[in-house]
Amino acid sequence: MLPIPSFRLSPAVLLLTCAILANPSFAIESVLSESDAMADLKAVQAILVSKCIDCHGADEQNADVRLDQLSTDLVSDPKGAETWHDALGAIQRGEMPPDDADPLTTAERQALAGWISEQLNRLKAARKATGGRVVLRRMNRQEYQNTMVDLLGVELNYTENLPPDSVSEEGFMNNGSALRMSALQLEYYLQAARRGLKSAITEGPAPEPFSHSASESVSDKKKDHWTTRLGRNGRFVARVPEFPDTGAFEIRVKAHAEIPPEAPLPIMQVQFGFRSDVRAPAKIVAVTEVANEESKEFVFRARLEEYPIQSRTQSKYPGMLIWIDNVYQDGKRAPKPVQIKEQVEGKKKPVTRLHYPEDPEFPKIVIEEVSFKAPVFASWPPKHSQDILPRQPDSLSDQRQAASEAIDRFLPRVFRRPIQDQERDLFLSYYDTVRQSEESFVAAMREVFAMALIAPDFLYLAEPSSQQHTITDDQLACRLSYFLWSTMPDPQLFELAKTGQLHRPEVLSEQVQRMLADDRASRFLDSFSKQWLDLAGVDRVAINPEYYPGFDNALKPLLQRETQAFFAEIVRQDLPATQLLVADFTMMNQALAKHYGIDDGPRGTSFQRVSWGPLSSRGGLLGQGAILMANSTGEDSHPIKRAVWIRDRLLDDPPAPPPPDVPDLDQDLPELASLPLKDQLKLHLENDACADCHQALDPWGVALDSFGATGLLREKIIRLNPKDRKKRLQHDVDDAVTLPDGTDVKGIAELRQYLVDQQSKAFARALSKRMLSYALGRSLEFSDEETVEQLTQQFIAADYQISELVRLIVCSDPFQR
Amino acid sequence: MSKHTLRRRTMLQGCGVALGLPLLDCMGSESIATNRPKRLCAVYFPYGVVIRKPEETEAAKWNWFPNGKGTDFQFNPGHQSLAPLQQDVTVFGGMSHPNGRKMDGHDTADTWLTAAELTGGKLQNSVSIDQLVAMRHGHKTRFSSLVMSTDGGVGEPTRSSTLSFGRNGEPIPAINKPRLIYDRFFGHDAASAKQQRRQLQSSKKMLDLVLDHSRSLQRQLGKHDQRKLDEYLQSVRQIEQQVEQSEKWLHVPKPQVNATDLKLDADDSTPGELIRTMYDLMFLALQTDSTRAATYQIGNMNGATSIAGKFPQLLGFANKMHALAHGARKGVKGAEDLGRWDQFLTEQLARFLNRLKSTPEGDGTLLDHTMVLYGSSNSHTHNNTNYPLLLSGGQRLGLKHGQYLTMDSSVPLSNLFVTMLNRLDTPVDRFVDSTSEIETIL
Repeated sequence: MLPIPSFRLSPAVLLLTCAILANPSFAIESVLSESDAMADLKAVQAILVSKCIDCHGADEQNADVRLDQLSTDLVSDPKGAETWHDALGAIQRGEMPPDDADPLTTAERQALAGWISEQLNRLKAARKATGGRVVLRRMNRQEYQNTMVDLLGVELNYTENLPPDSVSEEGFMNNGSALRMSALQLEYYLQAARRGLKSAITEGPAPEPFSHSASESVSDKKKDHWTTRLGRNGRFVARVPEFPDTGAFEIRVKAHAEIPPEAPLPIMQVQFGFRSDVRAPAKIVAVTEVANEESKEFVFRARLEEYPIQSRTQSKYPGMLIWIDNVYQDGKRAPKPVQIKEQVEGKKKPVTRLHYPEDPEFPKIVIEEVSFKAPVFASWPPKHSQDILPRQPDSLSDQRQAASEAIDRFLPRVFRRPIQDQERDLFLSYYDTVRQSEESFVAAMREVFAMALIAPDFLYLAEPSSQQHTITDDQLACRLSYFLWSTMPDPQLFELAKTGQLHRPEVLSEQVQRMLADDRASRFLDSFSKQWLDLAGVDRVAINPEYYPGFDNALKPLLQRETQAFFAEIVRQDLPATQLLVADFTMMNQALAKHYGIDDGPRGTSFQRVSWGPLSSRGGLLGQGAILMANSTGEDSHPIKRAVWIRDRLLDDPPAPPPPDVPDLDQDLPELASLPLKDQLKLHLENDACADCHQALDPWGVALDSFGATGLLREKIIRLNPKDRKKRLQHDVDDAVTLPDGTDVKGIAELRQYLVDQQSKAFARALSKRMLSYALGRSLEFSDEETVEQLTQQFIAADYQISELVRLIVCSDPFQR
Repeated sequence: MSKHTLRRRTMLQGCGVALGLPLLDCMGSESIATNRPKRLCAVYFPYGVVIRKPEETEAAKWNWFPNGKGTDFQFNPGHQSLAPLQQDVTVFGGMSHPNGRKMDGHDTADTWLTAAELTGGKLQNSVSIDQLVAMRHGHKTRFSSLVMSTDGGVGEPTRSSTLSFGRNGEPIPAINKPRLIYDRFFGHDAASAKQQRRQLQSSKKMLDLVLDHSRSLQRQLGKHDQRKLDEYLQSVRQIEQQVEQSEKWLHVPKPQVNATDLKLDADDSTPGELIRTMYDLMFLALQTDSTRAATYQIGNMNGATSIAGKFPQLLGFANKMHALAHGARKGVKGAEDLGRWDQFLTEQLARFLNRLKSTPEGDGTLLDHTMVLYGSSNSHTHNNTNYPLLLSGGQRLGLKHGQYLTMDSSVPLSNLFVTMLNRLDTPVDRFVDSTSEIETIL
């Protein structure tokens, strides 16, 4: 029996005690610290008895709330959870206890709020629990796209019509519970399958290719900006009079650059297509820098099916257009065109045209020749067609045989496992049906394969349960390839699974190494870093041009790319993961170097490793534009968001969400804008309930306040006066803080060093945990704690090598169960 | 041919629409007027509106709710775009879903049209009113419903990015790309009718076999996974129905609408164009009788991940949606900041209502045969009572407007739903927690 304050021994108290003692969840879940949990519970009980039960107990039930009989086992009594939840809100908002009652001390309030939050979190986790098993999950958009390309061998956009995927609470997009199915989704899967198969399996003799070339741009009568010289102005437009509807096309551009000394490289963008009746604009085929001052041929390939094609019957522009631009920007405005008069052949009077003067300082692309050819193919039927349907016989009986062979060949790849006889028979029976209605053998086979591509065995990573503890080698191959490549297993993985070798630890380790070294691993590196670090947050922020007049929204994807490339570089070079926190380099391309003010940065569009040099104190995730921008207001830093981000993403210690209906900082007072940041944040600390959380939160973000919303360093914080937006208010940056554990740090340099020195274990744990969740495609549960702990220790012992963490995860029990 | 039909066609062509005349079956019959389509359309915005006390004179000018009451009411300055439509709308004050009051402030967008209690372990929703209409009348149009939102897809329970939920409370994905909606509703299939028919017939057989095959897979799965696969099986069955429906529509070409004025490539970087285009597509879908139930969620209450949060900022308003709502009770500035955004949203609605009203249908207008419900599930942010609600249209369906009705908070919003459904030929005795009809709008 727990000690109960003697002066308050009432039936209500006894009930409460019993409820708490009878709580079974503690017995199971608090293995690690059972005594701690009991101590917490006692403390909570004492607080309730002394401060709450008078009004919410046996005698009175103000607002119909009675706490003494409320179950503390929220998992088995979720109804009680609602009341606890309301109680938490009332306590955090400072509404309870009411003004005329004995107030809670700070320690009491923290204990009570902390305990309720923890119980609610347990309930939340239990709701999602799947018994430590991987959830049957469908492929997400990216996985579906990659898998379709691998299966069909034709690069089309298979996902453009699919609804967006739901994101899990951890921010991952491959969480089985979060990924839903619907009729609309399935309808578009079928559409994508039919469309893909139509392109993939060809029929009939090789088509005659069309080709066309031009060395002069189509001209614009009124302006001279359509030209072969692409500088600050200028665009090359080629018109292709005849073209097929489908198939691969090729655009060859012969061009060279004229680059003034010290100038950056010009960037060539090639667009294709346009459809006037539905206002479909041209789509980009490629963007690439032109570094050569001698003539060079660039070759771009894509498929016609992917581009808006002018309807041949109703159209103002017969033919298809290729548009070539120089999209390099230096931030300066183009000079205005001048009117000139020209004598034109066949016309008596001179014609007025707008002339665009050339800027000699600006890097130029000179187009020599543009040629178009479609369809292009190395052999006929193309390889992708041969791979799927190698035989297209004439006689009906032979066709049925060929169908059976093709099913045997294609279906195991689609289902990612060997197929059973009755499965082949099922598909053959469908063949028999559609062969009667379809015009040709090929058309019938496309339907048969479309059926496979909407079957659950394809759309879901299905793992039929067996009695065995571990999954089969086929299933392991799938888990591996979807984890590291976001696609189906390749032939080697299939082969190792087939021969039953894959699960052997040494084989598995070897495969992880091979897969990480493969280009396809960038899908894992990019997806994981984007989702773990919430780089999508950049898209949710609107940069206010009043504050950042020079900011170009085209930089947003480059900032995201920087962090992805940085993560990939650390993994690929086997640098310790602590370099994510402190590094003297980052990844940049020409446009990003300009944004960061690096003068001798890389040229061109591809990302290269760049030393921060004198700015090296900002190296690491905390100083990267994407992180800083995603956690900004678009006008200024958002220290609280930045703080939450650090605690959630880097330390896996997310603060409790704010209680309902608290105003944002910047809304409180009209004169708020005139206060320096720290004085603004002090407002949080005036209210005890707010102070509980914010004392431990705000400092993490304030330490990064030398960075504005676009991720650039600043000495002054500039705010527009809300009453008169033409006036500016200025404050000095003050980024010296005291962290919750009492450590004083100043600015990013000391903060990141503190993270490495003092929090590296928490960081290692956070990364292990998030990556395990991503690898499994599910949320983690209490039963995974042991694995996480082990992974963390081994990861640290392996000098924080991420490739080793990947291997450890693959070899871990949850990954193979 | 009856006069009605002719007039309908001529009229539609006048608006840049040549229609496949889905009323073909009833052509020449006396029953056209009674069989005229009855439509429901619901538009939602998150986080509530400006609500300030009348004595805070300056701030109260930005109030969303009008002044006065009954038939004698005036819109505040920010909502003057509705003044010319005053006789076509009813503004409701005081109402909400009683179940919603048990839920978190950010959780109620999911239940705006369902009245469900989304609490406890399973977070199980129930059917939304638009889908009730779709189930009842969906077979009469090419598409049983049109479901749109800014974020698209289904989101997650309590933060759903759709307003529509099916028979079993399953979320129906919303489409968020104007071009996709356009292609679906009005785009022309390159395949011939014969090819399309053949494909639909193959689809039927294919779906049958897939269903059989999936059931055998399901038997091999663990319990948890079986439930997950149920979702798939249900989707297959739904598509089977869709295929049947598509077959019936094969002989009727899709309506041709002029895309010239539509910004089909509008996206979250151009919110003004996006919201207008979504309204335009909804208008065209209703006008061409391509569907009779449409929902549009302008934003959900997922402050952390909704892409719509930044819309006000992109349009030059003072802050993100969520922050505007949070600030609205602070000073005159706070009221003005949110008030201007409220005003913008109201103007978009008014534009839509005006289009419906200026489109004749039968001897009335399109608006007369369309009920448009507009509002939120927060009064001010996080507060699940006193929803801002506006109902327009449906005068020929038995509704009466030109009022500002302040209801007692004990009146569940479901009472309004029942009143509407019963006049949309979707008779219901009760809907979730309804107690009666609201007779003041009849």
